[in-house]
Amino acid sequence: MSDELIELEEEEYTSQLTAPVLRRIMGLLKPHSIWVFGFFVTIALVSGLDAYFTYLNKQIIDQGIALQDRERVFEIAAIYGTFILFQAGAVFTFIYLAGVLGERIQYDLRKLLFNHLQDLSLSYYAQNAVGRLIARVTSDTGRVSDLLTWGIVDTTWALMNIISSTVFMAIINWRLALIVLTIIPVMVVIAIEFRKRILAEFRVSRRTNSKITGAFNENFQGVRVVKALGREDSNTREFQSLTTMMYRASYRAAWLSALFLPTVQVIAAIALGMLVGYGGLQIEAGLMTIGGIQAFVSYLTFMMWPVQDLARVYAEMQHSIASAERIFNLADTPPEVHDRPGAVPASTLLGEIEFDHVDFHYEDRKPVLTDFTLEVKPGEMIALVGPTGGGKSTIVNLLCRFYEPRQGQIRIHGRDYTDFTLESIHSKIGIVLQTPHLFSGTVRENIRYGRLEASNEEVEQAAKVAGAHDFIVTLEKGYEHNVGEGGNLLSVGQKQLISLARAVLARPELFIMDEATSSVDTLTESLIQRGMEALMKGRTSFVIAHRLSTIRRADRILVIENGKITEKGTHSELLKLKGHYYRLYTQQFRHELETRYGFADAVGLPETADQPQPLPAD
Amino acid sequence: MTTLQTIYEPSITFDFRHSLDANRLKGLWKMMVDYRVPYVVATVSLAFSALAKTGTYLLLRFFADEVLTRRRFIGETLFSTFVWIALGFVGLAVVEGCFSFLSGRLAAFTAEGITRRLRDFLFDHIQRLSFSYHATTPTGDLIERVTSDVDALRRFFSEQAIGVGRIVLLFVINFTAILNLNVELALVSVVVIPLILLVSLWFFKKVTKAYEAYQAQEAVLSTTLQENLTGVRVVKAFARQDYEKDKFEKDNWGKFLKGKLLLFMHSMFWPLSDIVLGFQMLFGFVYGALMAIASEITPGTYLAYVGLVVWLIWPIRNLGRIIVSTSTGMVSYGRLMDVVRQQREPLHDGRHHPQGPLRGDLKFDNVSFIYSDGKTEVLQNVTFHARPGQAIALLGSTGSGKTSLVNLLPRFHEYTSGSILLDGLELKEYSRAYLRSQIGIVEQEPFLFSRSIRENITYGVGREVSQQEVERAAIAAAVHEVIASFPDGYLTLVGEKGVTLSGGQKQRVAIARTLLKDPRILILDDSTSSVDTETEAEIREALTELMKDRTTFIIAHRIQSVMGADTILVLDKGRVVQMGTHADLIQDDLGMYRRIYDIQTRIDEELQREIARVD
Repeated sequence: MSDELIELEEEEYTSQLTAPVLRRIMGLLKPHSIWVFGFFVTIALVSGLDAYFTYLNKQIIDQGIALQDRERVFEIAAIYGTFILFQAGAVFTFIYLAGVLGERIQYDLRKLLFNHLQDLSLSYYAQNAVGRLIARVTSDTGRVSDLLTWGIVDTTWALMNIISSTVFMAIINWRLALIVLTIIPVMVVIAIEFRKRILAEFRVSRRTNSKITGAFNENFQGVRVVKALGREDSNTREFQSLTTMMYRASYRAAWLSALFLPTVQVIAAIALGMLVGYGGLQIEAGLMTIGGIQAFVSYLTFMMWPVQDLARVYAEMQHSIASAERIFNLADTPPEVHDRPGAVPASTLLGEIEFDHVDFHYEDRKPVLTDFTLEVKPGEMIALVGPTGGGKSTIVNLLCRFYEPRQGQIRIHGRDYTDFTLESIHSKIGIVLQTPHLFSGTVRENIRYGRLEASNEEVEQAAKVAGAHDFIVTLEKGYEHNVGEGGNLLSVGQKQLISLARAVLARPELFIMDEATSSVDTLTESLIQRGMEALMKGRTSFVIAHRLSTIRRADRILVIENGKITEKGTHSELLKLKGHYYRLYTQQFRHELETRYGFADAVGLPETADQPQPLPAD
Repeated sequence: MTTLQTIYEPSITFDFRHSLDANRLKGLWKMMVDYRVPYVVATVSLAFSALAKTGTYLLLRFFADEVLTRRRFIGETLFSTFVWIALGFVGLAVVEGCFSFLSGRLAAFTAEGITRRLRDFLFDHIQRLSFSYHATTPTGDLIERVTSDVDALRRFFSEQAIGVGRIVLLFVINFTAILNLNVELALVSVVVIPLILLVSLWFFKKVTKAYEAYQAQEAVLSTTLQENLTGVRVVKAFARQDYEKDKFEKDNWGKFLKGKLLLFMHSMFWPLSDIVLGFQMLFGFVYGALMAIASEITPGTYLAYVGLVVWLIWPIRNLGRIIVSTSTGMVSYGRLMDVVRQQREPLHDGRHHPQGPLRGDLKFDNVSFIYSDGKTEVLQNVTFHARPGQAIALLGSTGSGKTSLVNLLPRFHEYTSGSILLDGLELKEYSRAYLRSQIGIVEQEPFLFSRSIRENITYGVGREVSQQEVERAAIAAAVHEVIASFPDGYLTLVGEKGVTLSGGQKQRVAIARTLLKDPRILILDDSTSSVDTETEAEIREALTELMKDRTTFIIAHRIQSVMGADTILVLDKGRVVQMGTHADLIQDDLGMYRRIYDIQTRIDEELQREIARVD
């Protein structure tokens, strides 16, 4: 599922307000209570002053103009001016405090989640798509911090605005204030109803939008098929049904929004009409002034903004709380694989490694390994071969202690490996993955990932051992060359060489490699082979093998099928059996030689066009 | 359903090629054909709505001056006057509301309408662009344009253009109203307006930059996060959790600092402009109050002034923001027009539109194809003859020109010299639509769409297809059993939301698709190296079925798959270096074919030796 869809799906999930979650959300503010207090007070001040300014205007009319008192006008102006300055100070304070606090909460939450994710086990990653986790760390934290800062700001401003306006209206004329008070609830209800409908349309339009993007994407990627099958017209017609759906939803959302304010305004105007009618009579009775009428008109006209704000915050709050729930959920998940109490550092991994009747499954009732037993002598090289899904990766995952056996034991040097600390095991393992993973940054930084304190010479030495040095120096900036996001600026073969160098630098005692199935050119291939050889010397190694040369070199080959070892032995022993291994081997043999002579294309890289391509640097 | 849709031509209501213009504002105006009247009405409605609001304050003035002070009544009594005035307020509010709603609705009508037809046009247009355009343009870049840039234009029409109009109209109308009340008062009320406009323009330009830096840092953070999460095995295997935490901390803190700077800018601008505008208002109030005391204006005038001036001053601050944001719309217009400007590949050009099917006789005479850069010669002087029903195999290494050669047939590319006679007529004279309806392509890893398997099989057939027919094709393609084993059978979705098919299965679905299409010429990418032995046999059988009675071009990678061909073309660097049947070619000891054959034989011998060695 695409990240966009994940986000949409999660956004649409709203939470029922629950007190404990809400308390916990508010708990996030605790360390920053002074900041919260600061912006709470200042926004209240800003809002109250807005209402007061309207009141001062009334005073100018009633006490200045009506009484022909110039002095009074200047006095009021002086107060007015002072408060403008005050208000500006308060505006500065609340924007700064709420804004920076929002950034700070987001920073804290992201840090909390990221750090916790580092400790979570691979099983958690297997169950949660990366897109989902990213949404958790980015958009969910944003939504929660918005609620805690701007949500509070808007609510405070709106409530304070309504309250202080009402108070000033009551001071001016409490009978008229009562009229206004009756319409506020009506306005709020209408606002919420509008919000709900607009949001519903908005969601339809967002979902349709993601379908539209999907349709575009597919049509671009499959354009060859579209053209070959002459599907242009019907594809456009199908697409038009999507844009029509989109048009309906977004047009409706837009005109509903356009209807909302006028509706509220008309309601306010009805109240205004009542005010003027009734207020006129009050003036006649001497209970009301012209300035008072002016003030009431002002208060009423600007009443719709806080109402609109309250409706918005209310609508968004449910989504923010759902976000918070997901955040807490992640933060509360304990890591499945962790150090046992009293775990000691493993002194070395260069000892006998035993799988003793190991059972393993990722999901209940779907066994992956059953009763798996294996003994490996220090320094031995084991090649794992067999079909996809047979259990090869699981063996490696268990060996690295990314997962632990459900039944049975894995022993290193005769001792259950769960007696050792994770860190001590991991720091002695070197691993090269099937699809090499690099990080953005320079070549040097990527190699140094293997041992952070390594000197530049050591990095280059490791690159030489791994056979990566030669191509690195041909790169434009050599070791300082930027590899791009995920290493995208390099070819697959180059990435493999760098990840080999990284493993070399780590000086592991146990080396694990998942060979790439996709071919690289012959030169790189032989470099990789040589690098591997160098790495395996004097180390125990496990290789999920696809290459003949690797397989042939292994001390022992295990054919893994359905979670069991079906054949084991040396290359020649297994060939003689004429079983699974024999078939695998002959197929791979043909394929490799055909590739070498240039007749077959690299597996997994279908030929799409013969147009000239720039030669990769290796 | 599919077939019904193919009968009608899609109705693209507006050709955006007419909206190309070097002047971007003019171009945007040209885009608005059919929507100009609604949009102008939307703007005029805004004016009426603003007028009604102004009327409210003038009514207040009337109320204060005429009714309360001068005791002029409407109707008989004071009370009836109050009722009329109250009704006046409500009436004006209704007028204001109606016009404001009308304006909002028409603006949305325009923006959404233009967006919809823009999307339709782009979708249709892009799929009709040439094959080489698609080969050289990254999908991500196109997606970016058809999504973000289209949305930027939508916002231009729905918010920005109308937003500028709204603020300007509010200003003009209220300013005129105040001018009518009192010229002097009007002039003192707008002293700082030019200043604040300039400052807000300057500020929003700055803040846009700071915001972009903030967003860029967010992107850096996302990359770090993404790489960490996808590389979790590497992180764990090297026990680099602490290092990763530090790295994330650095980026996260960097974003915090950039956010802080952004907020500091905002927290300076808003209160400072509050002060300037606040004092401007206060100045007007005091000035007006003094005039009222001096009886230069009536109290009612003052009342109206106080109400009106608010709508004059505060919106100006936002004008800067909206004006700055319109530049996004302009940039997006340019980026979209880059795509719109591209030449389409005409589907229906050419003189020959035969009613029936082709025979499939193809005569290549000295055909050369030079790539669009004008230098790379992909094919050179290719000459051969393929008779109806024959199988032509193309053999050669990657980059030898095999794929380019077959790409000429459906006119994905145009040959640059020589001639290709199809059933005796020049290939270029056939319309692409006709050619493509007569040619079937089965690729090594065919692209399937994320729809049901049935829809994938019937994709491009262009007529109603019965379930029996679909199943018969699937059976012939040796894929029926696989499909039947899925819980939803033929309705199973392919891709993310459904099943993931293996390479071999995809290929067989494509074979079924091609069988249904029943083309006279077949292009086959015959590389079965990625599938296991069992499927290979099945696919081979399905392919034999498919090739029956069709002129077939096989892009081959191994000798086994070319041996049965009627003619084998051995290609090297765009030239045909050898041509003939297997029996002919094998005779030539020095030829490339023989070399390839020898190597293949040697591979088999080596394997036998290797196995013998262990025995």
